[in-house]
Amino acid sequence: MFPFQIEKIYLDEKAEKDSVSKTILKALSDIPVETVQDKRGLIKQFFSMPDSIGVGKRHLLITHFYGRRLKPCPGTSNHICCGYYVINAITNCPMDCSYCVLQGYLNNPFLTLYTNWDDLLQEIDVFLSSDRQSFLRLGTGELSDSLALESIFPFSPFLIQFFAERHNGILELKTKSANVNHLLHLNHRGKTVVSWSLNPPKMIEEEETRTAPLKERIDAARGCQEKGYPLGFHFDPIIYHEGWERGYQETILQLFKQIDPKRVVWISLGGFRYPPKLKAIAEERFPKTRVFLGELFPGRDAKFRYLKEIRVEMYQKMAGWLKEINPDLFIYLCMESKEVWEKVFGWAPENSRHLNQMFEKRVRKFVK
Amino acid sequence: MSGMAEMKPIQKMPLNQIDLMDDTFSVNYLPNLQSLRSSIKEIGLIQPVLLRKKSGGYQIVCGFRRVSAMKELGKSEIEVRVFEEKEMDAFQLFSLSLHENLTTRGFNAVEKAIALEKLIHRFQIHPDKVIKTFLPLFSLEPNEKILNTYLSLAQMEDEIKTYVLKEEVSRSNIRRLTGLTPEDRMAILSLISPLKLGENRLREALTLLEEISRRNQCTVREIVQRPEIQTILSQKELTPSQKTERVKKVLMDLRYPKMRQLEENFEKKRKDLNLPSNISLRHQPFFEGKGLKVEFQFETMEEYRSILLSLSQLVAKEEFREMIVLSKGQRT
Ligand code: SF4
Repeated sequence: MFPFQIEKIYLDEKAEKDSVSKTILKALSDIPVETVQDKRGLIKQFFSMPDSIGVGKRHLLITHFYGRRLKPCPGTSNHICCGYYVINAITNCPMDCSYCVLQGYLNNPFLTLYTNWDDLLQEIDVFLSSDRQSFLRLGTGELSDSLALESIFPFSPFLIQFFAERHNGILELKTKSANVNHLLHLNHRGKTVVSWSLNPPKMIEEEETRTAPLKERIDAARGCQEKGYPLGFHFDPIIYHEGWERGYQETILQLFKQIDPKRVVWISLGGFRYPPKLKAIAEERFPKTRVFLGELFPGRDAKFRYLKEIRVEMYQKMAGWLKEINPDLFIYLCMESKEVWEKVFGWAPENSRHLNQMFEKRVRKFVK
Repeated sequence: MSGMAEMKPIQKMPLNQIDLMDDTFSVNYLPNLQSLRSSIKEIGLIQPVLLRKKSGGYQIVCGFRRVSAMKELGKSEIEVRVFEEKEMDAFQLFSLSLHENLTTRGFNAVEKAIALEKLIHRFQIHPDKVIKTFLPLFSLEPNEKILNTYLSLAQMEDEIKTYVLKEEVSRSNIRRLTGLTPEDRMAILSLISPLKLGENRLREALTLLEEISRRNQCTVREIVQRPEIQTILSQKELTPSQKTERVKKVLMDLRYPKMRQLEENFEKKRKDLNLPSNISLRHQPFFEGKGLKVEFQFETMEEYRSILLSLSQLVAKEEFREMIVLSKGQRT
């Protein structure tokens, strides 16, 4: 059963004949469908609705995407970034995290599924072929959750098989769901990292609406581990709150009761951060959220971050707890300055390129 | 005037037959009768008021301000048109009165709130209809959030309503007030009234108060009553803007305690260095990024030499070394 509430499906006439569209409509056969010609007009109309973001999450738009769908992760200026590429197969997410940056970012409120998969696979193919020397990391979890919509839009199995045959690319599926059963039988050849964003149960309950509970995420990760998938974990956003130390430490312990650290290809740490316009939008939608009550200040890239002292404390402690589990874990900071890296680890990548090379080295150890 | 009302003959009505206490159709709030009185004095009443017959007298459908002004001017009768008791239902008459008022004078924010509250609670109109039909009538966007803001305003204390009107408080700031208890609102009023805050400053103050109260799990009233705030408010020699600055500093310190500690440490060390006033030492904004900034000002070679000497002496000072550490956002 599809676990999210969809009120209506808008089917762009250009996507009408696609077999993927038919699969989606079949899976959601009890939901009303309207064929649309004027996609832009529809988007405009939805944007003018109160809580267009919430409403958009309950309305599917099935359409084609015509621009570039593979883009470097936007990263942030003056910070070290990891050189990741974002695959745009879906925009928006049926889950509803209070801190989700997509709330202020997307120019289309719909849960949008792009059915021209062939174009996308071709684009990825051309991209990977153009740089055979590097080992590139690509992922679908930036503009949506990678696995939340799989029961109606099973794109990940295609991608997994596609990447299994490539020599210089690795796919990351990043999720807060536990939706992995359909991936377990696939021959991934170690070219797909399935990764989970993790937070303590209290944060999940208070700030991550409609996501899977921690236990289910960890159980799903163990399922993937048993099938040989390399795993990734993202403690991002780390939310500084009363009792945060206990919350995160217990989460780490709970995780590694089930997960073999040797199967973990990377772990990221990222303190909660947000672009200036997110606060008003999120507080309007989640009046009870406490994420903005921290001591957050604008940085040189205009994004608000915790006071450096707080970030360093959080990262040092988190890295310490993780290294206690296994000193060989590959831990990196997401969108942080060199200075913070130095304070946390005692060293820092020279630049984003250097970090990227370290990733390459790490990834090669895991690829069959 | 609506067609229905226009068809009624104009007649003279003794003022003592009109029940001024019956506010079924009134949305008046702090009406300014001064200009109306002068106008009546000058050229008399132009529009007859609308009444509805009820047992023992008449209720005003439209023209509360005019009836009050005439009474204050010592008149004994007024020109009216009269609806019979059962001729139109109360909601139709209220709606007529709203339209009538809109064409002649418009409504202030509190009057809009009262009107919306009456539509929902007294006349039992479904909120969806109120949103669709009446919010646009008051030039408000038709959505539930706006309706709820105004319904809350209608329930607020008179002192708050008066402040909202007097200071022309924006809708977003009204909404910030709606989430508070009456005690907290009154406490806020005691803080903001003497400060004479503009729109942005008010938003800033309300946001800080709300966030401190949620962070520290205390009431807004407890924050406002803190001695450091009350002391500022009671200092007669301070201007409102000086008070505002100082109160803001207190609130910022409460809201951002770790930042305050860093600032205080930095400031203490800076003072300990005893630098001449033409040299300033600053950290990066929010202690983000590295390094200290030194700024100095001079007019003569002599001054320049003395500045260089002071600067070179800094190297030997422990406080200076500690300030460099602090400037990186670290504790010493
Ligand atoms: S799961 Fe990710 S994409 Fe979905 S709402 Fe949460 S933060 Fe946003």
